Formats: sequence, structure tokens, C-alpha cells
Amino acid sequence: MKKIRAFLRSMTFGMLLLAAVIGFSFAGSMIPQQRPAMEYVSRYGATVGGLIIRLGLDDVFATPVFLLLMAALALNLTLCSVVRVRRLRGSGERLKERARAAQVIAAPGQAQRLDAFLRRRGFCAQAGEGVTVYSKCLFGAYGSFLTHLGLLAVLLAGALALYGGQITDQTVMPGQTLTLPDGTAIEVLSFRIEDETGRLDYASGLRMTDAQGQRSAEALVRVNEPMRFGRYKVYQQTYGTAGTMRLRNAATGGEDTVYLTEPAFLTADGQNGVFFAALYPGYIQDEDGSVTLITSTSGAYADPVYDLRVMAQGQTTPVLAFPGEELTLGDITYIPGEPVSYPGLRIKAIAPGMLGVLYASFVLLIAALTICFFMRPVCVAVRPEGYAIASPKPQLGLQLELEALIREEEQR
Amino acid sequence: MRDMVFFAALLLYFAAMIVQIVSAALGRQKGCRAACALLSAGLALHTVYSVWRGIAAGRLPLANQFEFASGFAWAIAVLGLILHARLRQTWVLTASIPAAFLVMSYAAFQPMEIRDIMPALRSTWFALHIGSAIFSYAALAIAGGLGAYYLVRLSRGEREDSTAMRQADYMGYRMICLGFLLLTVVILSGAIWAEQAWSKWWSWDPKETWALITWIIYAIYLHQRLRMNWQGRRMALLSLAALVCVLFTFAGVNLLLPGLHSYA
Repeated sequence: MKKIRAFLRSMTFGMLLLAAVIGFSFAGSMIPQQRPAMEYVSRYGATVGGLIIRLGLDDVFATPVFLLLMAALALNLTLCSVVRVRRLRGSGERLKERARAAQVIAAPGQAQRLDAFLRRRGFCAQAGEGVTVYSKCLFGAYGSFLTHLGLLAVLLAGALALYGGQITDQTVMPGQTLTLPDGTAIEVLSFRIEDETGRLDYASGLRMTDAQGQRSAEALVRVNEPMRFGRYKVYQQTYGTAGTMRLRNAATGGEDTVYLTEPAFLTADGQNGVFFAALYPGYIQDEDGSVTLITSTSGAYADPVYDLRVMAQGQTTPVLAFPGEELTLGDITYIPGEPVSYPGLRIKAIAPGMLGVLYASFVLLIAALTICFFMRPVCVAVRPEGYAIASPKPQLGLQLELEALIREEEQR
Repeated sequence: MRDMVFFAALLLYFAAMIVQIVSAALGRQKGCRAACALLSAGLALHTVYSVWRGIAAGRLPLANQFEFASGFAWAIAVLGLILHARLRQTWVLTASIPAAFLVMSYAAFQPMEIRDIMPALRSTWFALHIGSAIFSYAALAIAGGLGAYYLVRLSRGEREDSTAMRQADYMGYRMICLGFLLLTVVILSGAIWAEQAWSKWWSWDPKETWALITWIIYAIYLHQRLRMNWQGRRMALLSLAALVCVLFTFAGVNLLLPGLHSYA
């Protein structure tokens, strides 16, 4: 049992786990992730594609083995941190003792010069019997422990933030309201693709209201600028362009407008009506009168064209219609309108404070690494016959500087 | 005219590299001083170019592969000169000038036109994330350069315990410490930015994944160095292998693995 515990907290185990994470990450980056099964078969062939799916390499970061690996890494970091924290008590004094006991590098009669140099470098002196110990950055001994603790905190808080939140994607037409299961309402007041200067700037004007009727101020949600309200964060995720169709019923005098984001059959009796196939941003008319439709949807819809099928008395007639044109079938008149751009919103529900904890772990890790690398604890014991350096980290720079100092004096 | 300044800087880096390599091979101190002067002149022109481009673009000139590569080369030159000024050792230049020139040459093959920045890149995190990335990569590239220098000297019969070799080995380690810290800043600032832009702080995007792979490899390097007391040849080899990873994260991922960072 003792041996197992020692292995679980050992650096060897940690290195093995890190190597395994590299292996998984390599596979996860080289094999496209979370695609339909058929894509793997067509890309890699039936045998390899099938193997990829069976081994879970199509979603490698969600496989139980990978999650187990991360859990093992967290365990290794925890045990390693426990061992380190035990060793930290009295580490400064132990380092001083190590310096006192170390074999000195000969520098007879240089104590005063060394004293001046070390004090200039911010070392604190502690005089003893026949030896003065200069120390610096003893707090740096905590660097490695804090780094491991920071990494552990990032792993745990990161997992909570990643798997603890709920994410849903929704498209909402401007002027419409989306109601979430807990009664919170998101009202889309406006949406634009370009700002006043014509620069791309996907922005939705939103207002939110919670179940108790508490309203947020109106906010402009952009890429990189989500809106926060209660436990929700709303992101500008994507956008689309929908066709609009006004339907007028001559018999009842009623009128309605529908948004067309995908093919749809607009009918009153289930048999006769207009089938919406597609909306095109524009067209090019040749000299002979033939029309070529523009299919690229990346730009503005300058001359929108509706691709429709009119279905009446069992006959289907393809029709290209422009905004404002009227198509009448019986009592119903179909009037295509100007296309409308709409936002695709991402709504994330996350416990308050979760991200704060995650970001605090980030700060801890960066601070710990700074301490670890740039506040290296070091002690120099100076005796009348020479000096000795003790540090848990490489100190070649200081060593060479002291050697140069002594050499300089000898050459005088 | 602006692009001429870029190519003039590239030419000066090239001249500095030739002069430095020849001088180092022949052991001429004067030549190394000339290489340092050429590198400084190249860096001055490079800085003028970057500021000029930044003013013309109305943003930090680090938004696409060309600009990032140019910034990466600039950071190598800056770090190389700072290190040289502190240590007064010519091998620092031998390691850093070729690295700056090679990265700058890569930049020269990228499309150079100034384009409007896409909405996803308009963020307050942009400067910290990309700024720390160029200095991180630069520090790691210099460490790799020092590793290569170490191996070349070793193959030519230089003793591992000579002061210059020990110093080159140690500086490689210190550069990796700096690069590793900055790489951590890159990854974590990128995570905060990703949460703001895409709602998830981590999405296993190829760029993120390769940044993590690179980070782990350097973490292994540091553990082997600090806990197992590995030094010299093994560390030089590992720093070179890790540099391959850095370069793949920088350029290979963009070319071969499409993802959320495809615009970079």
C-alpha cells in the first residue's frame, strides 16, 4: 500500500500521465472531432473509420479513459502537493544549514568584498560563529508547491466551469421574445451585421426579464461582449437571414407574417399553397434575358429573389418572386417581403461565482510560476576562507558572478 | 514604401546572420560586434515598420499570420539584444540572429496586405494574449537556438564543463522558464477571452490543444531539469524537440488543422 501511494504521488507517475495527455491531445487534434460517423468512414475507409468510432477517437476528450486520466492527474497533483507542503516547514532554515555545511569555494580574505556584493544584490545577512549566511527570496521555496496547487485548482475549477454550465443555442427574430424554462425572457430589440461605418459588427440589442418581472437595461451584445443577467450569460453566436412572407386572407380579412429560415409549405387547406424553397441574395440578368441566381450568402441581400413552387390543383409551377410581388391562390394572397437578418444567440446558465473561482485559479498559477522561476531561494555562506552557495534551483548566474568578482580581485 | 522598410530589415537580419556565423566560426570578436550592430539596425527598421503598419491599420499589427510572424521575429531580436547586453557573450547572438532571420523570412512569404480586423479579434484580451505569445515563442526559440549551438559546439569537441557551455545550457533553461511562464499567460488569457467570445474557456480547438501539448513538453523539460538534474546534451536535445512543437503550434496548426483559430 505504501509503495502504491508513493507511486501515485511520484514524479514518474506524473510524467507518464502527462505523456498520455499528449498522446490523447495529438489524436484529438489530428482526427476531426464530433463529426457524423459516415464522415469517418468516407474519410478513412470502413476499417479505420470503424476503429476510430469504436475506440471513441471521434470524441476523444469525452472518453472515460481520458476523463480517468485527468482525474489521475488531479490525484497525483494533490498527493504531490501534500508531500511538498510538509517539506516546506522550516525550509528556509534548512537551506541556511545546507549553505553552512557545504564545502566552500576558496576565496581567502574576500569576506568584506562578498558582503558588499551580496548586500547590493538584496541578500539579508545573518552572522554566526565564523560564518555569515546571506539569504534571499526564501519565500521562493513555496513556488513549486504553489504552482502544483495552482494547476490543481485550474483543473478542478476548469472542470466545474466546463461541465457545470448549461448551454443552449437559439435563433430569435428581431422584435420577438424567447422565454427560457425558468421564465426568464430574452427580448431581441434589434440586430445588425454592420456598424454605421460599414464595418462588420454583429450586434443584437437585448433586454432580459426574470421570472419575478425584474428587467435588465437594454444592452448591445456583440462578439466578445456577452450580456450577463442573473445566472445567465447571453452571447452573440451567429447570424442568419430569413425571408418574410405576408399572408392575406380575403375571406376573413386576416393578415399574418411568417419568417422563412428553411424550406416550408405555406397552405391553408394542406393541398394548395406556396412552397418556399430558398432565398437568394441577388441575381445577374444576361443580355439574352436569362437569370443567374447568386448563391453566396456572405454579403448583403441587395436584390433578394424568392425561389417558390406554386402548388394548385395538383400542379406544381416554379416561380421566382421579388419582394412586393403578389401571388394569389384562392382566398390567400402571398406577398414576399424584404429579408430580415436575425441573431443566433448562445445562452449559458452557470452558477454565480464559478468563473470567478476559475479566474482566481489562473491568477494563482501565474503568480506561483513567477515565484517559482524568478524568486529562487538562495543562501550564500561566507567564511574567512571562502564561500558556498546553496539553492534548490540552478544558480549558475550567481556562481559565475561570484567567481568573476573573486578573479577580478585576484588580478588586482 | 512601407514594405520596403520590412525587406530592408530582413536584409539586415540576413547580413547580421552571415557576419555572426562567420565571425563565430573564426572566433573574431570584431565581427560579432558588427553583427550586433547590424541586428540593432535591422531591429530599428523592423520597429519603424511595425509602428507604421500599426498606425496604417489602426490597431496592433499582430492580427494575422504575417503580422504575428513579424512580431515573433521582432521579439527574438529584442530578447537576443537584451541578453547580449546583459551577458556580453557572442553565442547569444549566434543562437538568436538565425532564429530572427528564419522567422522573418517565413513572414515574408505570407500575404502582407492590411485587412480590417474581424469582430472576434476585437477584444481587450487581444494585446495580452498575442503580445505574450510573441515573447513566449521568442524566448523558446532562443532556447532552441542555444540548444542547437550547444550541440554544434559539443560535436566539435568542446567540453561540457567549460564556462561557455555551462552558461549556454543555463541560459537555455532560463529562457525556457521565461517562455513557459509567458506561454501559461497566453493559454490562460486565451481561455478568458474564449469564454467571452465563444462561451467556453476550453474547446479542444487544434490551436488550444497544441498549445497545451507544447506547455506539457516544456513542463516535462523543467521537471527533468529541476528534479532529475538533467543538464547539457539531453536538455539541448529536448529544447530543440520542444521548439519543433512551438513551430507546429505557430504555423503547422494554421496550415493543416482547421479550427476556431483559422483566421490567425
